[in-house]
Amino acid sequence: MKPLLLRLEPVIWLLFGAGIMVGTMLLPAWLLTVGLGGPLGLLPEGALSYDRAHAIASNPIGRLVLLGIIALPLWKGAHHLRALFADWLGHGPDGLVGSLLYAVAVVGSVLGIYAVLTL
Amino acid sequence: MARPSHPEAMTPHRPGSTRTAPPQVPDDFWTRRRMLTYLLFDATGLPYMLVGLVALRVAFALGRGPEAWASLMEQFSHPIYVALHLLALVSVLFVGVRFFRLFPKAQPAKLGPAKPPPAPVIVIGLYGAWIGLTLALLVVLGGIWP
Repeated sequence: MKPLLLRLEPVIWLLFGAGIMVGTMLLPAWLLTVGLGGPLGLLPEGALSYDRAHAIASNPIGRLVLLGIIALPLWKGAHHLRALFADWLGHGPDGLVGSLLYAVAVVGSVLGIYAVLTL
Repeated sequence: MARPSHPEAMTPHRPGSTRTAPPQVPDDFWTRRRMLTYLLFDATGLPYMLVGLVALRVAFALGRGPEAWASLMEQFSHPIYVALHLLALVSVLFVGVRFFRLFPKAQPAKLGPAKPPPAPVIVIGLYGAWIGLTLALLVVLGGIWP
Protein backbone atom coordinates (compact mmCIF):
# COMPACT_ATOMS: atom_id res chain seq x y z
CA MET A 1 0.00 0.00 0.00
CA LYS A 2 2.84 2.36 0.81
CA PRO A 3 4.03 2.84 -2.82
CA LEU A 4 0.44 3.61 -3.89
CA LEU A 5 0.06 6.15 -1.08
CA LEU A 6 3.32 7.77 -2.16
CA ARG A 7 2.10 8.01 -5.76
CA LEU A 8 -1.21 9.50 -4.61
CA GLU A 9 0.56 11.92 -2.27
CA PRO A 10 -0.04 15.03 -4.50
CA VAL A 11 -3.81 14.38 -4.57
CA ILE A 12 -3.95 13.55 -0.86
CA TRP A 13 -1.91 16.62 -0.02
CA LEU A 14 -4.17 18.85 -2.13
CA LEU A 15 -7.32 17.57 -0.37
CA PHE A 16 -5.59 17.80 3.02
CA GLY A 17 -4.51 21.37 2.28
CA ALA A 18 -8.02 22.29 1.17
CA GLY A 19 -9.33 20.62 4.33
CA ILE A 20 -7.18 22.55 6.73
CA MET A 21 -7.73 25.87 4.90
CA VAL A 22 -11.38 25.77 3.77
CA GLY A 23 -12.54 23.45 6.57
CA THR A 24 -11.12 25.71 9.26
CA MET A 25 -12.71 28.76 7.62
CA LEU A 26 -16.19 27.18 7.35
CA LEU A 27 -16.44 25.17 10.55
CA PRO A 28 -16.71 27.80 13.34
CA ALA A 29 -20.01 29.18 11.99
CA TRP A 30 -21.30 25.66 11.20
CA LEU A 31 -20.54 24.44 14.74
CA LEU A 32 -21.99 27.57 16.37
CA THR A 33 -25.29 27.27 14.49
CA VAL A 34 -26.08 23.71 13.33
CA GLY A 35 -23.92 22.06 16.01
CA LEU A 36 -24.76 24.11 19.09
CA GLY A 37 -27.06 27.12 18.55
CA GLY A 38 -29.94 25.35 16.80
CA PRO A 39 -30.19 22.22 18.99
CA LEU A 40 -29.79 24.25 22.21
CA GLY A 41 -32.44 26.78 21.18
CA LEU A 42 -30.07 29.76 21.07
CA LEU A 43 -31.06 30.86 17.53
CA PRO A 44 -34.09 32.93 16.48
CA GLU A 45 -37.31 30.93 16.06
CA GLY A 46 -37.36 29.01 12.76
CA ALA A 47 -33.74 29.79 11.83
CA LEU A 48 -33.04 26.09 11.31
CA SER A 49 -36.56 24.88 10.58
CA TYR A 50 -36.64 22.07 8.02
CA ASP A 51 -37.98 24.29 5.24
CA ARG A 52 -35.41 27.02 5.77
CA ALA A 53 -32.48 24.59 6.23
CA HIS A 54 -33.52 22.65 3.12
CA ALA A 55 -33.86 25.83 1.06
CA ILE A 56 -30.37 27.00 2.09
CA ALA A 57 -28.74 23.60 1.50
CA SER A 58 -30.42 22.86 -1.84
CA ASN A 59 -29.24 26.14 -3.36
CA PRO A 60 -26.22 25.40 -5.66
CA ILE A 61 -23.86 27.37 -3.42
CA GLY A 62 -25.43 25.69 -0.40
CA ARG A 63 -24.79 22.22 -1.85
CA LEU A 64 -21.16 23.10 -2.56
CA VAL A 65 -20.57 24.53 0.93
CA LEU A 66 -22.28 21.53 2.54
CA LEU A 67 -20.10 19.15 0.53
CA GLY A 68 -17.04 21.13 1.63
CA ILE A 69 -18.10 20.82 5.28
CA ILE A 70 -18.55 17.04 4.84
CA ALA A 71 -15.56 16.03 2.72
CA LEU A 72 -12.73 18.47 3.46
CA PRO A 73 -12.54 17.93 7.26
CA LEU A 74 -12.43 14.16 6.57
CA TRP A 75 -9.25 14.60 4.47
CA LYS A 76 -7.69 17.00 6.96
CA GLY A 77 -8.45 14.59 9.78
CA ALA A 78 -7.29 11.46 7.95
CA HIS A 79 -3.93 12.96 7.02
CA HIS A 80 -3.27 14.43 10.46
CA LEU A 81 -4.28 11.24 12.30
CA ARG A 82 -1.96 9.27 10.01
CA ALA A 83 0.90 11.58 11.02
CA LEU A 84 -0.08 11.18 14.68
CA PHE A 85 -0.04 7.37 14.37
CA ALA A 86 3.34 7.51 12.63
CA ASP A 87 4.72 9.52 15.57
CA TRP A 88 3.40 7.05 18.15
CA LEU A 89 3.75 3.69 16.40
CA GLY A 90 6.67 4.35 14.08
CA HIS A 91 6.53 3.90 10.31
CA GLY A 92 5.95 0.15 10.28
CA PRO A 93 2.12 0.13 10.19
CA ASP A 94 1.95 3.45 8.29
CA GLY A 95 0.79 1.90 5.00
CA LEU A 96 -2.10 0.09 6.69
CA VAL A 97 -3.09 2.98 9.00
CA GLY A 98 -2.93 5.49 6.14
CA SER A 99 -4.98 3.28 3.83
CA LEU A 100 -7.71 2.78 6.44
CA LEU A 101 -7.94 6.48 7.27
CA TYR A 102 -8.01 7.56 3.61
CA ALA A 103 -10.62 4.86 2.91
CA VAL A 104 -12.92 6.55 5.45
CA ALA A 105 -12.27 9.89 3.72
CA VAL A 106 -12.94 8.47 0.24
CA VAL A 107 -16.17 6.71 1.29
CA GLY A 108 -17.32 9.79 3.24
CA SER A 109 -16.61 12.07 0.27
CA VAL A 110 -18.47 9.83 -2.21
CA LEU A 111 -21.45 9.53 0.16
CA GLY A 112 -21.27 13.31 0.64
CA ILE A 113 -21.48 13.92 -3.12
CA TYR A 114 -24.47 11.54 -3.30
CA ALA A 115 -26.13 13.19 -0.29
CA VAL A 116 -25.84 16.78 -1.56
CA LEU A 117 -27.00 15.79 -5.07
CA THR A 118 -30.13 14.04 -3.74
CA LEU A 119 -31.19 16.70 -1.22
CA MET B 1 14.65 3.05 25.67
CA ALA B 2 14.79 5.13 22.57
CA ARG B 3 13.57 3.78 19.24
CA PRO B 4 14.71 4.61 15.74
CA SER B 5 12.96 7.53 14.04
CA HIS B 6 11.97 7.54 10.38
CA PRO B 7 14.24 5.01 8.62
CA GLU B 8 15.26 7.47 5.92
CA ALA B 9 15.67 10.48 8.18
CA MET B 10 19.11 12.08 7.80
CA THR B 11 20.15 9.63 5.08
CA PRO B 12 22.54 11.37 2.68
CA HIS B 13 21.70 11.33 -1.05
CA ARG B 14 24.95 9.52 -1.81
CA PRO B 15 26.53 7.22 0.76
CA GLY B 16 29.54 9.00 2.20
CA SER B 17 32.67 7.59 3.74
CA THR B 18 31.62 8.71 7.22
CA ARG B 19 29.43 6.29 9.15
CA THR B 20 26.55 7.98 10.99
CA ALA B 21 24.34 6.51 13.69
CA PRO B 22 20.62 6.48 12.77
CA PRO B 23 18.68 9.17 14.66
CA GLN B 24 16.70 8.01 17.71
CA VAL B 25 13.40 9.19 19.15
CA PRO B 26 13.57 9.55 22.93
CA ASP B 27 10.78 7.74 24.81
CA ASP B 28 9.59 10.91 26.51
CA PHE B 29 9.42 12.78 23.20
CA TRP B 30 5.78 13.62 23.71
CA THR B 31 6.43 15.43 26.99
CA ARG B 32 8.53 18.13 25.28
CA ARG B 33 6.45 21.29 25.03
CA ARG B 34 6.94 21.96 21.29
CA MET B 35 6.33 18.32 20.44
CA LEU B 36 3.21 18.28 22.61
CA THR B 37 1.73 21.27 20.74
CA TYR B 38 2.60 19.57 17.46
CA LEU B 39 0.93 16.31 18.54
CA LEU B 40 -2.15 18.21 19.75
CA PHE B 41 -2.32 19.93 16.37
CA ASP B 42 -2.33 16.52 14.65
CA ALA B 43 -4.81 15.11 17.19
CA THR B 44 -7.37 17.72 16.11
CA GLY B 45 -7.77 15.38 13.11
CA LEU B 46 -10.15 13.26 15.20
CA PRO B 47 -12.74 16.00 15.91
CA TYR B 48 -12.43 17.14 12.28
CA MET B 49 -13.22 13.65 10.97
CA LEU B 50 -16.13 13.25 13.41
CA VAL B 51 -17.55 16.64 12.39
CA GLY B 52 -17.30 15.63 8.71
CA LEU B 53 -19.19 12.39 9.39
CA VAL B 54 -21.82 14.23 11.46
CA ALA B 55 -22.24 16.73 8.60
CA LEU B 56 -22.89 13.75 6.33
CA ARG B 57 -25.76 12.75 8.63
CA VAL B 58 -27.09 16.32 8.39
CA ALA B 59 -27.12 16.12 4.56
CA PHE B 60 -28.88 12.73 4.59
CA ALA B 61 -31.44 13.96 7.14
CA LEU B 62 -32.22 16.98 4.92
CA GLY B 63 -32.77 14.61 1.99
CA ARG B 64 -35.11 12.33 3.98
CA GLY B 65 -37.56 14.98 5.17
CA PRO B 66 -38.87 16.99 8.12
CA GLU B 67 -39.17 14.05 10.56
CA ALA B 68 -35.57 12.93 10.02
CA TRP B 69 -34.42 16.54 10.40
CA ALA B 70 -36.35 17.09 13.66
CA SER B 71 -35.06 13.81 15.06
CA LEU B 72 -31.44 14.72 14.22
CA MET B 73 -31.77 18.16 15.84
CA GLU B 74 -33.20 16.41 18.91
CA GLN B 75 -30.15 14.08 18.98
CA PHE B 76 -27.82 17.07 18.66
CA SER B 77 -29.08 18.44 21.99
CA HIS B 78 -27.77 15.28 23.73
CA PRO B 79 -24.76 16.09 25.97
CA ILE B 80 -22.47 13.79 23.93
CA TYR B 81 -23.14 15.76 20.73
CA VAL B 82 -22.86 19.07 22.57
CA ALA B 83 -19.50 17.98 24.02
CA LEU B 84 -18.27 16.83 20.58
CA HIS B 85 -19.28 20.11 18.96
CA LEU B 86 -17.66 22.16 21.75
CA LEU B 87 -14.45 20.11 21.45
CA ALA B 88 -14.54 20.55 17.68
CA LEU B 89 -15.01 24.32 18.04
CA VAL B 90 -11.97 24.57 20.34
CA SER B 91 -9.98 22.36 17.90
CA VAL B 92 -10.92 24.46 14.88
CA LEU B 93 -9.95 27.71 16.62
CA PHE B 94 -6.63 26.15 17.73
CA VAL B 95 -5.90 24.92 14.20
CA GLY B 96 -6.86 28.27 12.67
CA VAL B 97 -4.72 30.37 15.01
CA ARG B 98 -1.68 28.09 14.65
CA PHE B 99 -2.03 27.37 10.93
CA PHE B 100 -2.62 30.98 9.88
CA ARG B 101 0.38 32.10 11.97
CA LEU B 102 2.63 29.50 10.30
CA PHE B 103 1.15 29.95 6.79
CA PRO B 104 3.50 32.79 5.64
CA LYS B 105 6.53 30.65 6.56
CA ALA B 106 5.31 27.86 4.25
CA GLN B 107 5.20 30.08 1.16
CA PRO B 108 7.69 29.50 -1.68
CA ALA B 109 10.36 32.20 -1.84
CA LYS B 110 9.37 32.90 -5.45
CA LEU B 111 6.55 31.73 -7.69
CA GLY B 112 7.74 32.49 -11.21
CA PRO B 113 8.52 36.20 -11.27
CA ALA B 114 6.19 36.94 -8.34
CA LYS B 115 7.16 37.09 -4.69
CA PRO B 116 4.61 36.34 -1.96
CA PRO B 117 3.34 39.43 -0.10
CA PRO B 118 4.92 40.26 3.29
CA ALA B 119 3.92 37.98 6.17
CA PRO B 120 1.68 40.50 8.01
CA VAL B 121 -0.32 41.07 4.79
CA ILE B 122 -0.89 37.31 4.38
CA VAL B 123 -1.92 36.89 8.02
CA ILE B 124 -4.30 39.88 7.90
CA GLY B 125 -5.79 38.52 4.65
CA LEU B 126 -6.33 35.07 6.17
CA TYR B 127 -7.95 36.46 9.32
CA GLY B 128 -10.09 38.80 7.19
CA ALA B 129 -11.35 35.88 5.10
CA TRP B 130 -11.88 33.73 8.21
CA ILE B 131 -13.88 36.36 10.11
CA GLY B 132 -15.75 37.47 6.98
CA LEU B 133 -16.80 33.93 6.00
CA THR B 134 -17.78 33.12 9.59
CA LEU B 135 -19.97 36.24 9.86
CA ALA B 136 -21.57 35.58 6.46
CA LEU B 137 -22.40 31.98 7.39
CA LEU B 138 -23.66 33.06 10.82
CA VAL B 139 -26.01 35.54 9.16
CA VAL B 140 -27.40 32.86 6.80
CA LEU B 141 -27.54 29.90 9.20
CA GLY B 142 -28.49 32.05 12.18
CA GLY B 143 -31.75 33.08 10.55
CA ILE B 144 -30.93 36.78 10.02
CA TRP B 145 -30.82 36.77 6.19
CA PRO B 146 -32.46 35.89 3.78
